[in-house]
Amino acid sequence: MAEKTMNGPMDAGRFAALADAYGSAFHRWPPAEQAAAMLFAGTDEGRAILRRAGRLDAMLDRHRIDGPSSALYHAIVARAATAVRQERRRRFWWLGFGLAGVGLAGAVAGLALVTVVAPDIQPDHYVMDANATSFGDAGPDADQAEEDL
Amino acid sequence: MGADPDEELVRRIGAGDAVAVQAMVARKLPRILALAARMLGDAAEAEDVAQETFVRIWRHASGWRQGQARFDTWIHRVALNLCYDRLRRRREWTTDELPEVADDAPLPDAMPGDEERRVSQALLRIAPRQREAIVLVYYQELSNIEAAGAMQVSVDALESLLARGRRSLQAMLVGDDGND
Repeated sequence: MAEKTMNGPMDAGRFAALADAYGSAFHRWPPAEQAAAMLFAGTDEGRAILRRAGRLDAMLDRHRIDGPSSALYHAIVARAATAVRQERRRRFWWLGFGLAGVGLAGAVAGLALVTVVAPDIQPDHYVMDANATSFGDAGPDADQAEEDL
Repeated sequence: MGADPDEELVRRIGAGDAVAVQAMVARKLPRILALAARMLGDAAEAEDVAQETFVRIWRHASGWRQGQARFDTWIHRVALNLCYDRLRRRREWTTDELPEVADDAPLPDAMPGDEERRVSQALLRIAPRQREAIVLVYYQELSNIEAAGAMQVSVDALESLLARGRRSLQAMLVGDDGND
């Protein structure tokens, strides 16, 4: 939404385009072009363009809107107290849910970290089964088990 | 963009300050009501839009942060969206494309005192986007950059809408198209 910057004198075309858009009052014109426009407004052509734009402005100025009624003002103010309070409560609850969610996420992440990083707890000694040898199970059912294979 | 003159008031409203609420309503209600009345041409509907706009202000006050737009520009956008909702419901247009010019035939000559009504009718007969541009710049006294921001268009596009809208109004109200 950058505004045009004006360098040098304004020509009739640009002056007319601005009057077409903004009317005859310079305070509505783009600030960067007001100074150049005021210079051009002193010419016959400038005066004619402003006069034409001013006729419409005079009509538009007749359109007035009544100010707000006291009843409308009070209705809006009365509704504000409830609306602001409800919104603050809603934000409070969402903050609570957010914090609970963060806490839960932290717990899950911690559990996952422990599961992945920490080694399984191993007994610090191994009790050999009486029937186990370094070659396999030498128990009474071992032969049968091998035949089944 | 300088400091937002409404920012402190909005912060106080968000903190539940009842005095700030009253100050905000006193400051903005006439502007919002005038905007809606000129966009809709209906005083009762304009009051409804003003009430709905303030409900949104109350809801957003505690979380308001100034971004690209000033608070005043933001509430203009809110009010305009509410106006467009109502205009759509009236089926003022049948497609998504807004008409360029609704009707710019000259209005009948007015009796003395009827000129205000003629202007109101003429405003309602131009395309809504042109009316929006004229209302924002001419009646609401927004700068061209603020108006373009509220309308979410470029300054060039705003100037084009203003010029086309004023030409139609000129034809209806003054009896020429401004090209004499």
